[in-house]
Amino acid sequence: MTASKKDKSISKRSAATAAGAVALAGAVASKVHARGSDTIKVGLLGCGGRGNGAVRQCLQADPGVEVIAVADLFESRVKSSRDRLMRDNKFKGRVKIDDDHLFWGFDCHEKLARCEADLLCMATAPAFRGRQMMAAVKAGMNIFTEKPVATDVAGCREVMAASKIAEQKGLAIVCGTQRRHEFSRVELMKRIHDGQIGELVGGQCYWYGGGIWYRGYQEGLSELEWQCLNWYHFNWISGDQICEQHIHNIDIMNWCFNGPPKNFTAVGGRAWRSYNDGQVGPAKEVCRKYNNGSDVDWEKYNGDIWDHIFAEFEYANGARCLSFSGHSPGTGRGDEKIVGTKGTSNCNNRISGENAWRYEGRNVNGMQQEHIDLIKSIRSGNPLNEGQRIAESTLTAIGARISAYTGRSFSWNWLLNSSKQDIVPKQEYLRPGRGVFHPTATGRDKLV
Amino acid sequence: MVQRQKLTRRELLKSSAVTAGALVLGGAAVPLAEARGSDTIRVGVVGCGGRGSGAARDCVKSSPGVRIVALADAFGDRLTSLKNEFKVRNNHCFVGLDAYKELMALDDVNLVILGTPPGFRPPQLAEAIRRGKNVFMEKPVAVCPAGIKMVIEASNKATEKGLAIVAGTQRRHEPKYVETMKRIHDGAIGEIVSAQCYWNQGGLWVDRAKTNWDNYKSGKWSDVEWQTRNWLFIKWLSGDHIVEQHVHNIDVINWAFNALPEQVHGLGGRQDRTGPQYGNIFDHFGVEFFYPDDVRTISMCRQIPGTTNRISERVAGTKGVSNCAGSIEGENPWRYEGPNPNPYVVEHADLIKSIRDGSPLNEGQRIAESTLCAIMGRESAYSRQQFNRSWFMSRCTLNLLPPDGLKLSDSKPVDPFAVPGKYQLPGLVQSKRRRG
Repeated sequence: MTASKKDKSISKRSAATAAGAVALAGAVASKVHARGSDTIKVGLLGCGGRGNGAVRQCLQADPGVEVIAVADLFESRVKSSRDRLMRDNKFKGRVKIDDDHLFWGFDCHEKLARCEADLLCMATAPAFRGRQMMAAVKAGMNIFTEKPVATDVAGCREVMAASKIAEQKGLAIVCGTQRRHEFSRVELMKRIHDGQIGELVGGQCYWYGGGIWYRGYQEGLSELEWQCLNWYHFNWISGDQICEQHIHNIDIMNWCFNGPPKNFTAVGGRAWRSYNDGQVGPAKEVCRKYNNGSDVDWEKYNGDIWDHIFAEFEYANGARCLSFSGHSPGTGRGDEKIVGTKGTSNCNNRISGENAWRYEGRNVNGMQQEHIDLIKSIRSGNPLNEGQRIAESTLTAIGARISAYTGRSFSWNWLLNSSKQDIVPKQEYLRPGRGVFHPTATGRDKLV
Repeated sequence: MVQRQKLTRRELLKSSAVTAGALVLGGAAVPLAEARGSDTIRVGVVGCGGRGSGAARDCVKSSPGVRIVALADAFGDRLTSLKNEFKVRNNHCFVGLDAYKELMALDDVNLVILGTPPGFRPPQLAEAIRRGKNVFMEKPVAVCPAGIKMVIEASNKATEKGLAIVAGTQRRHEPKYVETMKRIHDGAIGEIVSAQCYWNQGGLWVDRAKTNWDNYKSGKWSDVEWQTRNWLFIKWLSGDHIVEQHVHNIDVINWAFNALPEQVHGLGGRQDRTGPQYGNIFDHFGVEFFYPDDVRTISMCRQIPGTTNRISERVAGTKGVSNCAGSIEGENPWRYEGPNPNPYVVEHADLIKSIRDGSPLNEGQRIAESTLCAIMGRESAYSRQQFNRSWFMSRCTLNLLPPDGLKLSDSKPVDPFAVPGKYQLPGLVQSKRRRG
């Protein structure tokens, strides 16, 4: 299974290259001039911490990169991002953002897709990635996207569809699961796939940390905008912690097995998360601001994500692996382990057992290297396309979450083909106004 | 190298088991007088609820010459049915939280069945052994490290006195498990490198919890009466469901490894079963146990209505995989095809045979250890802390044993359910931390 899967993806890639050539000759010729030493014009979509980081890493990856547009939900963020980029001496002369290339609002990605960027750096909240990627590939743009790429099953399917279009058009999609671009892991995975630790029989991955920020009320924001500012706390926007954060480690497990799991079983809950005690800008205050002073329904402003999920993935060969994620004050654990019949590995740079090995080559910063690899692939005419893979890893995390939320076990096939889960409001309903709230999952929610 | 270490450990275990067995045999021959040969086994049942009654019937069914002669329960109403069924004399029926002491003082009882809530087990076992009784006790056998120590001590005394102790982890007496384990220990699946166990089920005692709560709220029952009748949901009595129920599966994994986990890290919560009638226990746990050589295993348990059932175990080795219950796949495929007698009866037959043969089984230490693992899983999930077994046994000061002289009319507040980050694991020095 694993071998054929691998072969398939290789043949897919050569097919994509051929399709790319066709696309080049066709209508999108204007957008695919980013070959050789040409300038690559970059648009930044999402001006939070990760977006500002990603665009800098993109600029550092290649001297021919220029930033020409910036977009975000919030006008203030767009402007401050542009100003800070302009002031950065490191990128002097390479930040050329005109006033009419500043876009904000819930439809900022649509406006951005109409500009002349060759490459988009996507780092908004995960909920909107599918529609953003679709707009971008339709406009013939290459993509760097942060992980995860969706928060529900429908979103994963949209990313898979966008990824197919990118393939047909010869566009690159690289995703911010940077471990895939770290030399040590790439070398290690070759060995694992070559059978150096034997057949895989188990594995574990963890992302368990102290907690995250909570942003209180901010003057001038509608309730939905406030929610988007606090995106992490709402399952429909972030996908919950297992999707938003733990996907890195889950992606490593899928990498080891060369594909997603075939079955999901998970438990979990929200045992302590509250943002009302000792909090600057507590949830109750936010509630009062949006409800004429009443805090009757304040708990929904705490958000609805859980604080722990304990999941088991059963992979195609029957191996059962643990995914352990959550937040709790004063804790920290984030790594992976893979177990085979002939040895084990830390999934990073070491094999123990019959074929003991340690990576001794150069170590690179994956978050930089992913941009270097992306731009190289665009320039060489062999665009990387990680779209399907990251959609699968995102769906793996979402599958575990759904299993925990519902208390039900199910298969990958059911999840991918039959689940009707669709929790992100359609674009036409997204406008400054009332928030979109769902009750916190019970552990026995209806499976859809 | 890993392999050699493991083999060594296994051999060590084997040889120490043999030695211990020899000691037991040598010691047992002297003091054990009662209940030998064809003598009647005269049983006293302590705890006459569902499990105690079931065990009493299975015990009688298991072997000839077994009579139920005495009963004890906290509540008179719980005792009636067995009293009528086995025609137990009035002066051999005892009621109250201390009734077990009166029963165990009877000279004409040579085996006691302990079927009371697990929180009462350590003092009751200690008393039984002190009084020279053989014991069948339900699992789990304690709910805290202090209780575990008490059980191990009593179990050692039982060995000295040549008394038998069998625990209600009936899989240990189920031929399909026994035969599978022999093969696993003989290396049929190679070295174990991964394992999982589950007790995921629907709701439990949903109506009963409500009725109990109504009786408590209306003032009909005291604190202690409500807690004792509603024991499943009360931590100091049941140990929470990971201990009360899932100990079965954890015990099977310990059995497969012939070793105990060295470390634990758990998660859990009370997500669906949130009403006050459900006391202070969780409704789900996910625990990772770390066995020697860093072999990591999954333990998962849940009691939430409408969720997917899964109650099983699985071990994966370098040469194959087994469900621990009659099937091995891989290099040495095998399927159990022998008889499947009712293990709830077999455990009593094994117990009584061992008494009559003069080579009493003593499962006290083993069930104490498996119970300990479940308790570690619970405390790790409550506190969200990862810790070692050696630390837990030597430093954790958690003591949930019932106070001496506890009366049904007493008031005893229920601890709040554990909230990770707030819950303090007794004995663990936690760094000052802020919620982020």
